[in-house]
Amino acid sequence: MKEFRLLVQRFDPSIGRGPGFSEFRLPLREGMTVLDAILQARDYSDHSIAVRYSCRQASCGSCGMKINGRARLACYTQVQELKTDRVIVQPMDNFPVVKDLVTDLEGFFDMHRALLPHILRSDDAEMENPSAEYLMTPEQLDSIHQFTYCIKCGLCTSSCPTVGTDSLFPGPQALAQAYRYTMDVRDEGGGERFELLDTQHGVFRCHYAGSCSAVCPKGVDPALGIQLLKRHVMSARPPRRKGEGAKVWEKET
Amino acid sequence: MLIQYATAVAAVALVAIHLLLQGVLVPYGTAISFGTVFAAYRNVFSVIFLEALLVVVIVHGFNGVRIILHELRQTVDWSRWVDVGTVLAIVVSVGYGTRTILLAVLTGAPA
Amino acid sequence: MRALGDPERVATKENAGNRKGVLGWIDPHGHNLERWAYTFQRITGVAVLLYVLGHLGDTSFFVGGPTGAGPSESSWAFISGIVENSFGHMILVLVVLVVTFHGINGVRLILAEFGVILRKPTAIEYPYKPKGLGATQKYIFVAAVALAFVAAALAWWILFEGPL
Repeated sequence: MKEFRLLVQRFDPSIGRGPGFSEFRLPLREGMTVLDAILQARDYSDHSIAVRYSCRQASCGSCGMKINGRARLACYTQVQELKTDRVIVQPMDNFPVVKDLVTDLEGFFDMHRALLPHILRSDDAEMENPSAEYLMTPEQLDSIHQFTYCIKCGLCTSSCPTVGTDSLFPGPQALAQAYRYTMDVRDEGGGERFELLDTQHGVFRCHYAGSCSAVCPKGVDPALGIQLLKRHVMSARPPRRKGEGAKVWEKET
Repeated sequence: MLIQYATAVAAVALVAIHLLLQGVLVPYGTAISFGTVFAAYRNVFSVIFLEALLVVVIVHGFNGVRIILHELRQTVDWSRWVDVGTVLAIVVSVGYGTRTILLAVLTGAPA
Repeated sequence: MRALGDPERVATKENAGNRKGVLGWIDPHGHNLERWAYTFQRITGVAVLLYVLGHLGDTSFFVGGPTGAGPSESSWAFISGIVENSFGHMILVLVVLVVTFHGINGVRLILAEFGVILRKPTAIEYPYKPKGLGATQKYIFVAAVALAFVAAALAWWILFEGPL
């Protein structure tokens, strides 16, 4: 049976284990994913390997890591598609490493929350006690639909060159979600988000390197969202002001 | 960022004209000869063009470096000194270039 | 949770994390085409700025240099003797190459960042082809590289082969 080598980057500050690699020789099975390989190494060779995973079907975004130098989801990357017999797995760049392949995503989620990733409206009474849905045509949904596919895996932020040096830059994930909510016809919070985006380390620190869209496993295409967002921020006119959001559907009586 | 975009568009046009005038539309050897340069400084459109080219390219360049430096470190002190340094660099560079233009324009026949 | 625009929100060791640093933007190896364009845009930008500062210096010798008082043929001849040679002309050819690339790629960036050359988001199907990395802007990048070499070849011909 064909074999391949799996090299797992190890790091455990609790026992003073510095960055280094553990190597495992594993049998290659048809359709085997990198996550399968890591779990096999963990289950049969070294139980101390730390790896974050959950759904194993590219829905949860937990298993983001660097595989042969590129940010990917381990459950979504087959060993055979790497076309090599040496698979190197490392924790994602630009995130603090907790242990081995597990990174700290708190800062990442903080940036996401900071850009108000929810519908903002002025009709508080309706929001608290909704009487019906807000109207949104299929075409209006299509214009933001792809950005709703984000699973917050962090691969885009890991690949972004600006995030590599700028710790105040929100990152492609947060900016793409800022675009998603600003362009949602139900939202009236564009103005508030623009105040956060048009700053020294806001949306204009993106220089369209495009690595975010290149690595996104769900087709979110953050680079597209961010460039379109820049145009809106430059116009300084949010798509909808307070009171201009989508209306509540009124039942015909 | 609008400054960077606006100076970029202006720079593309002005630099293209500058390169064309310095070797394509005017033979290179003639373009850099003392007499041709002296005559250029006696032409008001040429002088305005050179000053505009200077300002646009220097502002665009140092603003670009400012952006790169802001991304490198984000402490309050560093940010402040990068902004101050950028303004100083622009003022000194534009000042020195304008000095050259003014001396060439306002002073009389060559020594 | 402090807002992004908060001036007190500074980078600390705690939120710095495992960041790639400057190598992250200088080394585009293994990344997409637009990432290579980004790296070259930065490097050529800094290179052009350094050349421009030198150019401000050498052109000031028309008026006698930093301590001059007005147009001076001898001063101009002095600086021409230093820069008008094969090495100086080689530098000029490189500058033309670098400036042409930076300018045209810059136009590509402006068009993309104004959303002009990027297609509007629509419903997507697997396999995902990001519209943000569409063909139009890729062609402009290729044109930037090609035109840069064409301009450099023209500059070479003018400075080394053609009539001066």
